[in-house]
Amino acid sequence: MKNKIIYYLPIFLTLFICVFFFFSLSNDTSKLSSPIVGKEVPKFSLISLFQNKDNFNSSDLYSKNPKIVNIFASWCIPCRAEHDVLMLLSKLEGIEIYGINYKDDPMEAKSFINELGNPYANVGVDEKGRTGIDWGVYGVPESFIVHNGKVVYKHIGPIHISELDEIILPILKDLK
Amino acid sequence: MAGAMSEILSFVATFFLIICFSVSLFQMRYFIRKYEGINGNHVLLSTIQFTSCLFAFLILIYAFLTSNFDFQLVYSNSHTDKPLLYKLSGTWGNHEGSLLMWILILTIFNFFYSIKSSSDIKLRNKIVANQSLLILGFVSFCLLMSSPFILMKGNFSQGLGLNPILQDPLLAIHPPILYFGYVGFSLVFSFAIAGMLNNQVNKEWASALKPWILIAWVFLTLGIALGSFWAYYELGWGGFWFWDPVENASLMPWLSATALLHCIMVLEKRNMFQSWTILLSILTFSLSLVGTFLVRSGILNSVHTFASDPGRGLFILLFLAIVLLFSFGLFASKGSSLEKSNSFAAVSRESGILVNNWLLLTILFIVFLGTIYPLFIDLIFEKSLTVGPQYYVVTIAPIVFLLLIFMTITPFISWAKGSISQTIIKIKYSSILSLTLAFAISLYFDLFSITQIIILFLSFSLIITSLFSGIQVSKSNIIVKSILGKTLSHAGFGLFILSVIANATYSEEKIYDAKIKDILEINGHKFVFEKINHVEGENYNSIQAVFNLQEDNKVVEQFMPEIRFYNDPPTATSETSILYGLFSDIYIVMNVPQYQDSISVRIHVKPFMNFIWLSVFMIIIGGVLSIIYRIKN
Repeated sequence: MKNKIIYYLPIFLTLFICVFFFFSLSNDTSKLSSPIVGKEVPKFSLISLFQNKDNFNSSDLYSKNPKIVNIFASWCIPCRAEHDVLMLLSKLEGIEIYGINYKDDPMEAKSFINELGNPYANVGVDEKGRTGIDWGVYGVPESFIVHNGKVVYKHIGPIHISELDEIILPILKDLK
Repeated sequence: MAGAMSEILSFVATFFLIICFSVSLFQMRYFIRKYEGINGNHVLLSTIQFTSCLFAFLILIYAFLTSNFDFQLVYSNSHTDKPLLYKLSGTWGNHEGSLLMWILILTIFNFFYSIKSSSDIKLRNKIVANQSLLILGFVSFCLLMSSPFILMKGNFSQGLGLNPILQDPLLAIHPPILYFGYVGFSLVFSFAIAGMLNNQVNKEWASALKPWILIAWVFLTLGIALGSFWAYYELGWGGFWFWDPVENASLMPWLSATALLHCIMVLEKRNMFQSWTILLSILTFSLSLVGTFLVRSGILNSVHTFASDPGRGLFILLFLAIVLLFSFGLFASKGSSLEKSNSFAAVSRESGILVNNWLLLTILFIVFLGTIYPLFIDLIFEKSLTVGPQYYVVTIAPIVFLLLIFMTITPFISWAKGSISQTIIKIKYSSILSLTLAFAISLYFDLFSITQIIILFLSFSLIITSLFSGIQVSKSNIIVKSILGKTLSHAGFGLFILSVIANATYSEEKIYDAKIKDILEINGHKFVFEKINHVEGENYNSIQAVFNLQEDNKVVEQFMPEIRFYNDPPTATSETSILYGLFSDIYIVMNVPQYQDSISVRIHVKPFMNFIWLSVFMIIIGGVLSIIYRIKN
C-alpha cells in the first residue's frame, strides 16, 4: 500500500489531543480570568460607612486568613439578591467580608444594610468610584478573595448559592 | 433522613440501571467469534436495555415533578415555585440527569436498530454488541461517578432552583433534540466498527447505514438551530452565533457528519471512499462525545458548563481515549485493505465530493483550532485570551466561497468521468440568471464591491441551480424528483450564506441611556420611552420598560423589554423584546439598571433574520425528505 502510514495518523492525533485535554483538565482556566488575579491589592484608604469603625485600608487585607472583598451598592439590584449568600458566608467561622460601597449614597447604603443585615466586618465608602477603578471593577456586584494581600480569585456578578458551594468555599478551604 | 418512599425509588432506579448494565454485558458476547453468527434474542434484549433505562429515567422525572428534595439532584436543581415545564426540563438541565438521558437515547437507537430486521446476522450482531459496549461504558459512569439517584442526608423542604436563563420553553426541548443528533452517531460509529471487524464496508453496508446518518444529522441540525434561536432572543447579545466553545463543539460534529453524508453516497453508488467513510464515522462520533462531555467537564468555560468535579472529566477522557485509540487502531490495521481501487477521472462527481470533504474538514480544523487555542495558550503561557468572531469570519469566508462553487457544479458532473463543458452547458441558464440578479441587486443597493457581487452571484447560482434540478416543470405538470431533499438542502445553504452576509452587512446597533419620555432614534425609527412597569410573574418579579415605536406621531408598535429577578436561585435575566418583520427584526434589550434615573437600552435592527431561519428550515426539511424517500423505497 502506497501510503499506509497515513492510516496511523489519526492515532497520533488522538493521542496528542487526549494528552492535551488531560493537562487542560487539571488546569483551572476560570481562576485566571482577570488581570488583577495573582497581583497585590491596590493601595487605598476608605472612610468607614459605620461611625464607630476606623478607615478600611488595604493593609487590613494582609492576613493569613483569606478575606473577601465585595463591591456593592444599594442601587444595584443583583446585590440585593446576593446579600443572602453573603450573610450565609459571613456566619462561617474565620471568614471576614469587607465591603466597598461603590458610587453610592452613604445614607442609602446604611439603610440597605439595616434592612437586609450586615455581613461586613467593615465597609469602605467609595462614593466617586475611584477605588473601584483600581480594583478593575466593571459591574456591581463583584467579589474578590484576598490572601496575604494578594488577589486569589475574582468573581463577577452576584455569587450564586451553588457557586458559593462549588467555587468560593473550596478556594477558601484551600487557602486555610 | 430521606423518606422510605424515596429510598425505594432510588433503589429501584439503580436496580434498573444494573439490569441494563448486565444485559449490555451479555449482548457484548457477539464480539466473541463463537457467538458472532448466532441468532440470540437481540430484539428482546435490546427492549430490556431500553425499557430499564426508560423506567430509571421516568423515576427521575417523577422525582422532579413531585419536587422530591430527598434526591440530591432535585434539591440542587429544582424548586417548588417552578412552573411544571421547567420542573420537567430540570431533569436534564444538569450533569447527572443529562447523562441518564444520553444513555436512554443510546438504548433507543439500539432498540430501533434491533427491531429493524437485517439480513446480515454477523454484521447486525457486531453492531448490537458495539452499541451495548457504549451503553455499558456510560451506565458504569452513571452508576459509579454521577448517579442521579443519590439521596440527601438531611430533610429539605425547598430546593435551590434551576438557572433562570435555562427556564425557556425552547431550551426545554433543545437538549433532547441535540442529544438525539449526537447519540445517533453512536450507531454510525457501531456500524463503522462492525464493518471493519467483518471486512464488509461495501454498498449494502452503506445503504443500511445511510438512513441513520440522515436521521442523526437532521436532529443535530435542528438541535443546533434551536440553540441558536434561543441565543438570539434570550441572551440579548444581538446575534445568533457567537463562536462560543460549546456552539463550536456542536458545529464540529455537524461539519464532519455533513462530509460523511456525502461520502456514504459515493460508497453506495460507486463502492469507493471506504476509508473516508470509516474515518468520518469515527470522527463524527468522537466529536459528538467531545461536544457533550468535555465541554461540561470544566475544560472550556462557557454558559453550558455545569460545574462538576475533574474526576468526571477524567473518566470521560479516559473512556474517549480508549474508544478512539481502539477504533483508530482498527482503522490503521484494516483501513488500507478496505479500500477498493475504483478509479475516477479528475473531472468527476467523485472528485467534486472529495474536494467538498476537504473543504468541510478545513472548516472543521479552523473551528477546532479556534476552540482549542485559548486552552493551549492558557496551558503553556498561563495567559487568558479569547478567539474572537473575527478569526472565524476571516478564515472561513474564503472556504465558504469555494464550497459554494463546488456545491453548485458538482451535482451536474457525471460519475466516474465528467466533462467541464457539459457541466457548463447544464447550468448556463441558471448562471446567467444568477449573474443578472446579482448585478440588479448590486445596482439597486449601490454595492460596487467586487466581493459582494461575487457572493451574490455564487449564492444565487447555488439556490437557483439546486431548486431547478429538484423540480422539473413541464407543460402539463410539475415533477418532483427523488433528489428534491438534497437540492432543497443545498438551496437552503445558499440562502443561508446570502442572508448571513446581508445580515452582517446591514445590522445596526445603538446604545442609549434613556430617561422616561426620551426619544430614541435608529435607522429612521423613532422610539418613545413611555414608562416603567413592575410585573409579577409565576416565579419572578420584573421591571418592564415600555417603548412606543412611532410613525407620524402614531404609535405603531409597543416594545416591552424586561429584566426578570428570580429568587430561586437569585439571578437577573434580561428578556428581549423583538418585533419580527419579514425583512428585518427590531430588537430592544434593556440592561440591569445601575442608576435610578435612567436605564441603559440597546436597540438592534437585524435584517434578514427570517431568511436565516427559513434557510436552516430548508436544510432540515431537505434532510427529512431524503429520509422519507429512503423509507418509501
